[in-house]
Amino acid sequence: MNAPDRYERFVVPEGTKKVSYERDTKIINAASFTVEREEHTIGNILRMQLHRDPNVLFAGYKLPHPLQYKIIVRIHTTSQSSPMQAYNQSINDLDRELDHLKNAFEAEMLKFSRDY
Amino acid sequence: MEGASYARMPRVKIRELKDDYAKFELRDTDASIANALRRVMIAEVPTIAIDLVEIEVNSSVLNDEFIAHRLGLIPLTSERAMSMRFSRDCDACDGDGQCEFCSVEFHLRVKCMTDQTLDVSSKDLYSSDHSVVPVDFSDPAATDSSENRGVIIVKLRRGQELRLRAIARKGIGKDHAKWSPAATVTFMYEPEIHINEDLMETLTLEEKREWVDSSPTRVFDIDPVTQQVMVVDSEAYSYDDEVIKKAEAMGKPGLVEIIAKQDSFIFTVESTGAIKASQLVLNAIEILKQKLDAVRLSEDTVEADDQFGELGAHMRGG
Repeated sequence: MNAPDRYERFVVPEGTKKVSYERDTKIINAASFTVEREEHTIGNILRMQLHRDPNVLFAGYKLPHPLQYKIIVRIHTTSQSSPMQAYNQSINDLDRELDHLKNAFEAEMLKFSRDY
Repeated sequence: MEGASYARMPRVKIRELKDDYAKFELRDTDASIANALRRVMIAEVPTIAIDLVEIEVNSSVLNDEFIAHRLGLIPLTSERAMSMRFSRDCDACDGDGQCEFCSVEFHLRVKCMTDQTLDVSSKDLYSSDHSVVPVDFSDPAATDSSENRGVIIVKLRRGQELRLRAIARKGIGKDHAKWSPAATVTFMYEPEIHINEDLMETLTLEEKREWVDSSPTRVFDIDPVTQQVMVVDSEAYSYDDEVIKKAEAMGKPGLVEIIAKQDSFIFTVESTGAIKASQLVLNAIEILKQKLDAVRLSEDTVEADDQFGELGAHMRGG
């Protein structure tokens, strides 16, 4: 009867920002990104991609509660970089990787249909 | 700072490709990407499924909501889904099903007039859009087409009738499993098996046979000519550790070493028929790209930080 709508799990409510950014008050070059209506799918790939960046000292994500549909990504970088820069770069790199993957898969499909 | 890129260039090799089944190798990436793809294929690639049912007459043995639920679970051909709108953000209609951008209408009218039980199936659903129809599961090789009916919805006896209007919409598996295009999507780490040949040769043929048979799946076998143990199917290995335990129990630890390669995956994708398995993979990549794009920082967030950043730099004495 009073069940919340199922789409609340993946539709960002009006007036809410998809990503919000909060600097750490005590540590320089550390920040938390709160991403609304995302979960492990995005959280884990971002975390693993951030780990590939040598300027990232720490990167982690958490899903605070299964009924709070948001993740928090925390990044700490060296002074050569910034959390925002590392975050943006990781998204760009993942995007590039997926572009490549798409092309590779399509090329394989073409090859496969020709060979068999 | 542009130029430094930590992007990987994954490799793909397709092993098997059918309309509703795909098996492929994915290399040079990590488990996070493999798992993200799997999760997106199951829960976030859109399809079309019946979502609203208006029943006019139902004198069958099943109640209205039972039939509505069964209708929802029927896979519909969903090649159109990627370019369709979700009815919740369609501005051309109010979601009542009269809109070509976000919905497809179906009609079903069946009445049993004979003494024989009448099967009402997905073949009795008439679609308003020829590109969105119940999936045809009939075997193209079978010559006898009369026996190939669709998914059975309900059975009627003499005098019983079912008449309804249904509206199919675009949706994702996260909302309801009826929208999931995936029957199963799995991936496994590719195993790398090294047999210590020297240690293996200290075993008698009988011991070798015993060791080979200790694996629950047929991973190893004995060459009938050389009587050497060989790997016949490394991918049959289910990471059960049985052969390793057996080697230890036989007093030969290190007889075999099995490593799960951390950057190689073997994917198995089975589709419900709503979209082709190959298209499912491609759509999943596309959806994942869209999701990443959505989590980019917005301009105002960056600007707000720039101001705050300068202030912060001053405060830190910079």
